[in-house]
This record gives sequence, structure tokens and C-alpha cells, in this order.
Amino acid sequence: MKEGALSQYHVLDLADSKGAYCTKLFADLGADVIKVEAPQGDPGRRMPPFAGGVPHPEKSLYFLHRNAGKRGITLDIETDDGRDILIGLAARADILVESSPPDYMAGLGLDYAVLRKVNPRLVMASITEFGRSGPYKNRKGSNLVDFAMSGVMITSGYPGKEPSLCPGTPAYDAASLYANISILAALHMRNAIGEGQFIDVSVHETSRLGLYPWIVPHYSYAINPGGPPPSHESRLGASVYPVYPCKDGLIRVIALTPRQWDALVRVLGNPEVLQMPDWRSFLYRIGNAADLYALMLEFTQKYTMVELFEAGKREGVPIAPILNIKDFYDSPHTKAREFFVQVEHPVAGKADYPGPPYKWTESPARIARPAPCLGEHNEQVYCQELGFPRDDLVALKGAGVI
Amino acid sequence: MLPLEDVKVLSFGTGGVVPDAGKIFGELGADVIKIESKDNLDFMRTIGPDMNNIAGFNEANRNKRSFGANLKTEKGKELVSRLVKWTDILLENFRGGVMKSLGFDYDNLRKLNPQIIYVSSQGFGCGGPYSDFQAYGPMLSAASGMLSFWAQPDDPYPVGSNSPLPDHMASKHAVIAALAALDYRRRTGKGQHIDMAQTEVAVNLIGEHYLDYTYNHRVARPMGNRSSHAAPHGCYPCKGNDEWCAIAIFTDEEWRRFCQVLGEPAWTRDPKFGGLQNRLKNVEELDQHIREWTSGFDGYVVMEVLQAAGVAAGVVQRAPDALADPQLKWLGSMVELDHPVSGKRLYPGVPFRMSGAPPVRSMAAPLLGQHTEEICRELLKMSDEEVQRLIKEDVLHTPASSKSGGTSILS
Repeated sequence: MKEGALSQYHVLDLADSKGAYCTKLFADLGADVIKVEAPQGDPGRRMPPFAGGVPHPEKSLYFLHRNAGKRGITLDIETDDGRDILIGLAARADILVESSPPDYMAGLGLDYAVLRKVNPRLVMASITEFGRSGPYKNRKGSNLVDFAMSGVMITSGYPGKEPSLCPGTPAYDAASLYANISILAALHMRNAIGEGQFIDVSVHETSRLGLYPWIVPHYSYAINPGGPPPSHESRLGASVYPVYPCKDGLIRVIALTPRQWDALVRVLGNPEVLQMPDWRSFLYRIGNAADLYALMLEFTQKYTMVELFEAGKREGVPIAPILNIKDFYDSPHTKAREFFVQVEHPVAGKADYPGPPYKWTESPARIARPAPCLGEHNEQVYCQELGFPRDDLVALKGAGVI
Repeated sequence: MLPLEDVKVLSFGTGGVVPDAGKIFGELGADVIKIESKDNLDFMRTIGPDMNNIAGFNEANRNKRSFGANLKTEKGKELVSRLVKWTDILLENFRGGVMKSLGFDYDNLRKLNPQIIYVSSQGFGCGGPYSDFQAYGPMLSAASGMLSFWAQPDDPYPVGSNSPLPDHMASKHAVIAALAALDYRRRTGKGQHIDMAQTEVAVNLIGEHYLDYTYNHRVARPMGNRSSHAAPHGCYPCKGNDEWCAIAIFTDEEWRRFCQVLGEPAWTRDPKFGGLQNRLKNVEELDQHIREWTSGFDGYVVMEVLQAAGVAAGVVQRAPDALADPQLKWLGSMVELDHPVSGKRLYPGVPFRMSGAPPVRSMAAPLLGQHTEEICRELLKMSDEEVQRLIKEDVLHTPASSKSGGTSILS
């Protein structure tokens, strides 16, 4: 079998949910990722939903998805032995990702300055909620709180109602994605300079700058003389990208240009009431969104989601079906791309998992193994790879180090 | 040195995904050339009256050079083919089939440049029945399952957001794929084609809900901001019009401190709010109490008093909040760039720090064809006479020759 693009790299993953997706992307591309958990387990193991619906440390579906492809060991880095073992692991790693609060690693004598002494080629990325320094350094964050501050949340949901959190953990994943990019850039640089480096990423900054980067420039352009009218930062999903019911579900219509609007009118069978010239203007449609919605209902409901999706393609107006989870899973397109792959987890059991979001012609991306059970690879890593005698493993376990 | 200063990127991009990916390459030091044509504009150049003065476009296309060429002419295609030989990475997110109709599909271009890394990013990917369907970000959230539960439980139907999310998550995946492929090429000498489906990116971002279906046969329904392992967990209305503060309380210790901040009114001592399970059971009533408290204060007051007590809280921010944010100021997160048409404006900078690399450069977005002549001279080694002739023949586009191009979709 062909190897993945990053199969020569060894990654230590000490991160919680803020960095789980970062290292999952490495695992998908073939890197050897070892998840290093405290003996009580990563907090991500308590994240819902759960296989079987009941909380269980090996059945968190959040954990199983974002840690698929990794191996797992336990290690209490707050003990002296644990600290030494981590230094030994870091000596042979290319990448270390961690997400502890600012100063925590330094307090244990495990900051980058220490680790680079044993391995100058190590690339270490640290993900914090708000940053390793600055006025918000010690603040508490969460995916919800960081998403609230990202600029996307104020645009999410119905006007006048409570803003809606985007499903998943978008703020944490923004940090994970930027950590991944900067690590790959550091590895590229390592080939030129021979040394690793330290990368500092925060959830607050990555989600604010990364999830919706257009909005600060929009504002900056608007407040300057001659700029466009300021965009009203609120929840405009329903008017800008309207959603309409159809025979068997909902569709979202993206008609921006007059040509796209004309195409939409054709898709709906050229009803006279939609041929009023004013409707061709995007701004007029936004300004009269409620009236338009009432008019459109009569026509959209004559068709199915797929009929409208395909007619939109034919006529030249993007129309998307609003698929639920089951619809997407069952879609012929999804099946044709062989996107879902079966993974068997020793405790949670067998199920289809979303595969990596890309197909590679030379170095395939894949889910090579299920997420690790707590300490599943202790013997493999500590005895077979680091050469610890089995007795030591028992002693370390007894002392609570692993 | 800048991390990617020896990397060359050719961008055939439109809208959000590939332009954002190219921007990140540019910020990391790569030489990124955007191939543009005045007769077939990047969609983002059409959302205002002047194609060179659009905030979203000028954000997404920083740190690039613009090469303007008419790809409907053989000569235009030939010049771009010569840039294909020069490049390491090609990024494209045209509608499926467009690159092939230009003769610029992977199978053709690898003949010119066998080591090329060619990243395609279509909404639905480049294989399968929907591969040539056009897709904007708000369609990806719709078609991926994400939008179906991006809502409050009592919303009549989900509308999600008017931001282009998940476009700006897909763009980061494209960067990761291209960098990993570059690493693979360094070891093996092999280039390759990567087919990234933006819907599949969106699905990965909500993978746990797909597993909830494949393991539990449960189809995710809107749960708003509620969490099954935190309460309170939501946005609460504050003083003013449409002002909110998000609050997330996971542990009993955080709850205790939260109650102290409120001055421990009688309701907080009610056993029905003692312990997470009770708070979850009585969450409607709990949220009502909290809304009554928050609505008497400015959102920033709520955030500050709760953060001072060690409780996670954050104002639901707009752009002016981001510019005033003390932490972002400390980090120097926003950068001012001087654009030849738009003037000095603020843009988000690079949200990470690399100890071994200098702060990234930031360059304003190009005018259409701003670097056409420079690229012809320096990379394509063309004579000035030939370049001027091709500009006159409308094969090459420069800012001066492109003035007539561009129609606003708003007109």
C-alpha cells in the first residue's frame, strides 16, 4: 500500500480538544501520531455524543472522530519520572503539539527551551485560549466563548433571536488548522536551516482572524470617506441566502447577480409575479425579503430538493439542498466518492467514519486505525520502541506515572 | 528567512477558498501569482462598483501578484503554460470542468511540469455526479449536513449564517494538503493531484454528529447553543440593541463563582440548580434567570466581571469590537496596508508566531493585471515590444487596459 505524504514524521499530541483536529490531520496523512494522555484521560473523552448514548471514556464520538488514526499512551508529566519520559519521547519526535494554559509547561520544566536541548530539530506548537501573553492571557475560554468573539456568531441565526453556535467546534478547529499550517511551514523551513522552532497559536486570534477575515476590512472600508455603506453586522442568513421549503425538504438559493435571478425565475417556471423588474436587484430583494419569501413559497413547493438542485445547475443559479446528516450519508454522490470508511473500535464497535476530505493520486490519505483506548499503546511504545523492561512498566503504572 | 520563501504558487482561484489559501502562502513568504482575466473576473471583484476597491477581494488576495491574461486566446494560454512550468503548486477552485476546458487539467499540465502539485477544491469534489455543480460557502453548509442543525430548536427552519463559512475552513485544508504534498515531493520527487471536496471538509468539522448517526442512528437536530455537558451555555442578551454575552459553565466550581458574582440571589440557592444534571434539567428556567441578570448590564461588564471570577464569558463581537479588543491589540493582530486604489485600510494579520521566522510580510492585494508586465519581463523573459503588442491585442491585461472590465452584481 502506498504511504501517506507525512509518513516519515513522528508527532507527540499532548493537546486537548483545542488541538485534536490538528494532529488528526497529520494522522490522516500518514504521520505516526502518539496521543499522550494523563492517566485519567483526555477531557475530550467526556465530550458528547457517545456511542450507545451513555457517557463512557472509550465511546465519546467527538473523541473517536478527532483522534482516529492516532496511537495512545498515558503519562503524567507532572511527576519527575513522567517529565523525564516525555523528554525522551520529544528527543525522537519531529512535532509536539500541546494546549496547556500559559506557563504550565514551563512550570514543569518542559518548555521549548528545555526540549530543544535534547532535540534541536523539534517543532513545538502551543495552542492557548487567548495567547501566551497579553491582557487576556489568563482568561477562560471555551469553543462557545471563542466563537462568540470570532465575528461569525453575530451573523448566525435569526434576526432578533439569540445568535446560534455553528455545529462542531469551529473556534477550536480554527486554532488546529493554523497550528497545522505553521507546523508544516516550520518543517519546510527545517530543511533549509536544520532546526525546529516554537509556534504560538491562540484560539481567540485564529478564530477571530481566520473564520471570517472579510468583516474587519469591510468595516475599515466603510468608515473611511468614500467607502461603501457600512454592512449591518447582524443575522442576515435568511435574507441574503434565503431558505425555502420544497416538496420534500428545504433548499438554499444563492442568487446574487441579475443573471442568477433570471435563472431562478426560469427554474420556477417563469411565474409572472417574479418577473417584476425590481426583483432583479439583489439589494431590492434583501430590502423586501419578507415579501419575497411569501411570494416564493407558492413556487418552490412544487418541486423536490433534487429537482431544484439540478434545475439550478442547468439554468445557472446555485441552489443547494439542505441535507441532514442521513441525507448526506445516503447521497449517491457521497457513495460515488467512497467518502465514508469503515473503522472498527475495540470498545465502541464498528461504524462508518467520515474519511479525509481529499483524494491524493500518489500518497493516499486514510484513517489507518481507530482512536486509541486509554493507554492502549503503552507497551508498544514504552517497551518495544523506547526499550523499557516490562517490569518498569508495571512499576510506573503502580506509581501512577502512566 | 521567511518559511516558504522558495515556494512558487499559481492560483486559479475565485471567491473564498483558493484566494484565502493563496493569501496564506503569500504571508508565509511564497511567491504567489494570481491568474486573472478582465473578461472572466474573480466573483469577489464583482460585488461592488470598482473591481479594484472591494474590501473582501482585497482581503483575500493580499500577498499575491496579479497576472492578467485572456485565456480564450492561444497566446494567453501559452504564456500561462510557461508559468505552469515555473510553479511548484497550482491551486484552483473553478467550477468543475472549467480547467479541463482550458486545457489546464492535471493530466495535461503534468506533461509540462511532471512534479507539479495540483490542488483542486470544488464544492462537491472533482468526481461523482455533482462534481461540476457550482458551490458557494453557504451552499456547502447546506449540502454537508451542517446547516440542518445550525439553528435554535424553535427556529422555523435553519438559516445558518451570512458569513461564507465553511469556506475559510476549507481554504486552510487546501494549504495543509499542498504543504504536505510539497514535503512528499521533496522526499520522493513526485508531484500529484489532490481533489479536495469542500463539503467533505464541512463533514469532518462535524464528524461526531456523523458518528452519532452511524453508531446510534440519530440524526442531529438543532440544539442552539445548549450543551449536554455545560449549563449555563449560551448567549445572553445585554443592554443595548442586539448585544449579547456568551457564558459557558462546565464545573460546579465555576457555577459557585458565577453565583457569587451575581450576589447569590435566592434562586441560585434553589437545589434545582445544584449540580450540572439539575441545571440541565431546569435549563429553561435557569436561562431565564440569567437573561434577567445580563440584560441589566453592558455586555463588556458581564464579560469582565465573570472573567475576573474565572468564568468563561465573551461578548458576541462585531468588527469594531475586534479593533478595540485589548488582546488583539497586544498581539498586533490587525495590519494596516496601503492599497493603490483603496488607500490605507485595516486587515487581519497572521494569527500565529513562529520563533524562527521574522514577522510575516503583508502586501496589499493587486490591481487586476498589476504585475503582468513585471512577470513577462522577469519570469517569461519577454521583450518590451512583445509585451506591449500583446497588451494592445488584448491578450495581456494590465490595470490600464482593464478599466472597462467589471460589472457590479449589485447594479
